Amino acid sequence: MFDWVHQVPILSIVCYVPLIGALFVVFFMKGSNGAAIKKFATGVVTLDFFLSLPLWFEFDPQGALFQFRESLPWIASLGVRYEFGVDGIAMLLVLLTTLLGPLAFLSSWSAIKEREKEYYVFMLLLQTGMLGVFMAMDFFLFYVFWEVMLLPMYFVIGVWGGPRKLYAAIKFFLYTLVGSVLMLLGILALYFYNSTGLFGYEGLGNPRSFFIPQFHEIGLSLPPELQFWIFLAFFVGFAIKVPMFPFHTWLPDAHVEAPTAGSVILAGVLLKMGTYGFVRFSLPILPHATWELLPWMVGLSIVGIVYGALVAMAQKDMKKLVAYSSVSHLGFVMLGMFALNPAGINGSVLQMINHGLSTGALFLLVGVIYERRHTRLIADYGGISSKMPAFATVFLIITMASIGLPTLNGFVGEFTILVGAFHRVWWWAVWGALGIVLGAAYMLWMYQRVFFGPMTNPENEDLKDLNGRELLYLMPLVILCFWIGLYPKPFFRAMEKPVDYVVEIVEAAQQTTMAVTEEPEAVRLPEAAPGQ
Amino acid sequence: MSEIYRIPSADLAALMPELILSGTGVLILLLDAFLPRAQRLLAPLSAAGTLYAGWHLVGAAPSGLSFGGLLESSLLTVAIGCVVLISTFLAILASAGYLRRERLGGGEYYALLLWCATGVLLMGRATELLTLFVALELLSICLYSLAGYHRQLSVGTEAAIKYFLLGAFVSAFVLYGIALLYGETGSTRISELGPYLATGDVSALAVLGLLLLICGFAFKMSLAPFHAWAPDTYQGAPSPFVAFLSVAPKAASAVVLVRLLALVMPDGSATWSDLIALLAVLSMAVGNLVALAQRDIKRMLAYSGIAHMGYLLVPLVVLGPGSYEPLVVYLLAYALMNAGAFTVVSLLYAQPGEQHLISELAGWGYRFPLLGVCLTICMLSLGGIPPTLGFIGKYLIFVQAIDSGQLALALVMRVVYTLYMRPEVREPSGLLLDYPGRIAAVLAAFGTLALGTLPGPLLDWVKRLGSAY
Repeated sequence: MFDWVHQVPILSIVCYVPLIGALFVVFFMKGSNGAAIKKFATGVVTLDFFLSLPLWFEFDPQGALFQFRESLPWIASLGVRYEFGVDGIAMLLVLLTTLLGPLAFLSSWSAIKEREKEYYVFMLLLQTGMLGVFMAMDFFLFYVFWEVMLLPMYFVIGVWGGPRKLYAAIKFFLYTLVGSVLMLLGILALYFYNSTGLFGYEGLGNPRSFFIPQFHEIGLSLPPELQFWIFLAFFVGFAIKVPMFPFHTWLPDAHVEAPTAGSVILAGVLLKMGTYGFVRFSLPILPHATWELLPWMVGLSIVGIVYGALVAMAQKDMKKLVAYSSVSHLGFVMLGMFALNPAGINGSVLQMINHGLSTGALFLLVGVIYERRHTRLIADYGGISSKMPAFATVFLIITMASIGLPTLNGFVGEFTILVGAFHRVWWWAVWGALGIVLGAAYMLWMYQRVFFGPMTNPENEDLKDLNGRELLYLMPLVILCFWIGLYPKPFFRAMEKPVDYVVEIVEAAQQTTMAVTEEPEAVRLPEAAPGQ
Repeated sequence: MSEIYRIPSADLAALMPELILSGTGVLILLLDAFLPRAQRLLAPLSAAGTLYAGWHLVGAAPSGLSFGGLLESSLLTVAIGCVVLISTFLAILASAGYLRRERLGGGEYYALLLWCATGVLLMGRATELLTLFVALELLSICLYSLAGYHRQLSVGTEAAIKYFLLGAFVSAFVLYGIALLYGETGSTRISELGPYLATGDVSALAVLGLLLLICGFAFKMSLAPFHAWAPDTYQGAPSPFVAFLSVAPKAASAVVLVRLLALVMPDGSATWSDLIALLAVLSMAVGNLVALAQRDIKRMLAYSGIAHMGYLLVPLVVLGPGSYEPLVVYLLAYALMNAGAFTVVSLLYAQPGEQHLISELAGWGYRFPLLGVCLTICMLSLGGIPPTLGFIGKYLIFVQAIDSGQLALALVMRVVYTLYMRPEVREPSGLLLDYPGRIAAVLAAFGTLALGTLPGPLLDWVKRLGSAY
């Protein structure tokens, strides 16, 4: 049905439709006409979502690793090419982005009242930047998109955010910037090692290139010390985005101050860029370093899971609670990824999608109630389920999805991750399970305090239930939560091949790493013996 | 005797761009004196002269040495010439509105600017030390007068005097250095100095002479520790002129440095590399750190310019065929983003005598969307964020620049932040947003963006530089 997508550069189209929309708004729409702008912008991202749908149908899980390829020369003298393509993981994340786009835009209709033109322009640019990050197969191009996306987000938080928006925006910007500069150094190190050599390492003499599959190929032959440093450079960049403990401190500020749509995009897509970076770059390009640093990665993930959950439990502000729950959930994603087996990574990727859906929905829900009452404090509510039954139902479903109730998406992801972790080291899974229990505790406790009990606050008396627009942007998420919960097979099928690909490289490295680490001991022992 | 007066036509052709520029300058002065009603023609005329000179510069194939080896025309000089003419052109566009707003006569201004550009071009091409010195004086004297062009302003006069006093010292340095080199080697031709300096057995006086020369051009490039004049001069001088002052002389001085370093670098002595590295590191550190503390946008740009010149030195630390590509690209990026920034500054601050506080821009990103976007793009380019040319330049200069680029970003973000995230603090008054000015800002900003997005042709062209040496 969608054969035509193979004839056109579908990825570029999906990527640049928001950009073109943004340019159109800039040049042809008057800032005073906010109503038209928001409709137009929402129309553009909705169109973009429908344009991206064929990716789902036409993606062949058995086919090539990267599909819908586009390849053009860009900056020939540096070996930079314009390379687009998606594997199963990227395809799912692209769809997640195009799906959350219209929902976030719809939610902004009532939330954003001033400077609408600029707001929608930045949101559209943000959309292009994020899509480009997932589609780029050239590291240079990837980096360009990675940076491009930073700026609109900075503006969205800093201009349309809450009371402490300036602090939050600058913190967000500085954190992510430090990370991305280190990442650039890592990229350059790879680039030079692949071609001419650097820091006393003789290069491989390949033509200059930033092509990511090319880096995958040389991954196993990179010297371990070099891998170690590049891994650290990437780690800072990605861990800040994820965010992993202890780099998470920008997240609660950014989330709490950002407007609802900003939080949705931030939690739904931006955080995934960190985890995507790990699975796309750190693991397959630097497999030796992955094994070497495995204890640290897992340790930080587990700390993140437990710490995030405990801090979430202590929050009085709903949005902050959801923000800290993200730290915990992303810790899960990282734990699964560093189980380094198919189950773990599959679960990890699925959990990225799940987290995008359920946390995105949670932020939307908090936004709904915030718009009505202008407070997010849990203590200001109580017993509102009688006034807002539909809202309470949707909130309950999403809460359940978030804490991993069977038949909902969270369960599938978390369970798969735990299986993977258990296979690697059994007590990792124990910590993970503890995180789930804590997660259920803080989510349900919040739900109980907000929705049940007597209505103590008279201001909540005339709360209105969800309106049509709000239902429209919440329903797709609810449906998807059920879909993944009941029938996750198509999702697993799509990501099977790339995950196997990563696991294969990592396992190949494991054997050589073990061989390397055992060797010195074998040499040392006889030497030590005479001394005794 | 008659031989002396006949200049070979090939030499004249090689000098065409300079002749056009200075000729236009003279023409403008005459027009201004005898046809006062032609005032409005002056800016278009000088812009056209610049373009025509540029056309000659690019159109003619690099002809090698001319005037008996006093001037050189190579790919590098053409490239630097282009950078100089671009900044001249943008400065002229930006100046028209400024002069009208401040009610200043334009004739001398444009003439001086064009002659200054002539001096800069000549300095970049000179292969003989006295020619170099004459070119340096030509451009310096024009710069001094332009810095104080706003006669009623005390800060303008202050700027000019400071620049003049220090600059006069430096001219003396350079001349003394030339004298010492001549005394030791018996020649003022750079190519003839080479074999002597390469012997390794170099007298202390010759080294001193070379050091004095390097100091002189480091001053013109406002490298730390020779940078003290820059912030004061920038602050007091007319903003559109600063767009020129902060780029063109620096570009030509960089070429001179390349020439001088090429003399001494090949022998592999690390001392000169260390010296350049020291200048680079000092400039980056001083420029970026002090820029952070500035509240005046022109002073901030001055300090950031110091840091950028530090980046620019990085490829010169180990001079080789690969040094030219980053040098030229970075200079072009710097020319565009600086010109854009100063043009916007000149348009948005109506009282040039006062401070140009960054905080006064608060909220103006919405009031002046186009100029706000232009300034933002230029700032991002100064901070090295893709997809701007500043990023490509930094990328080419590689690790050193990226490392200390952090601070630069912090300060450019402050401008963006003030523009868009602070409530307005003042009403615009007395501004004159004329078309040429806005066009200059747009050209600079979107040039930065376009070249940053599609740098391929530029890099291909520049790559020929490296292979030519």
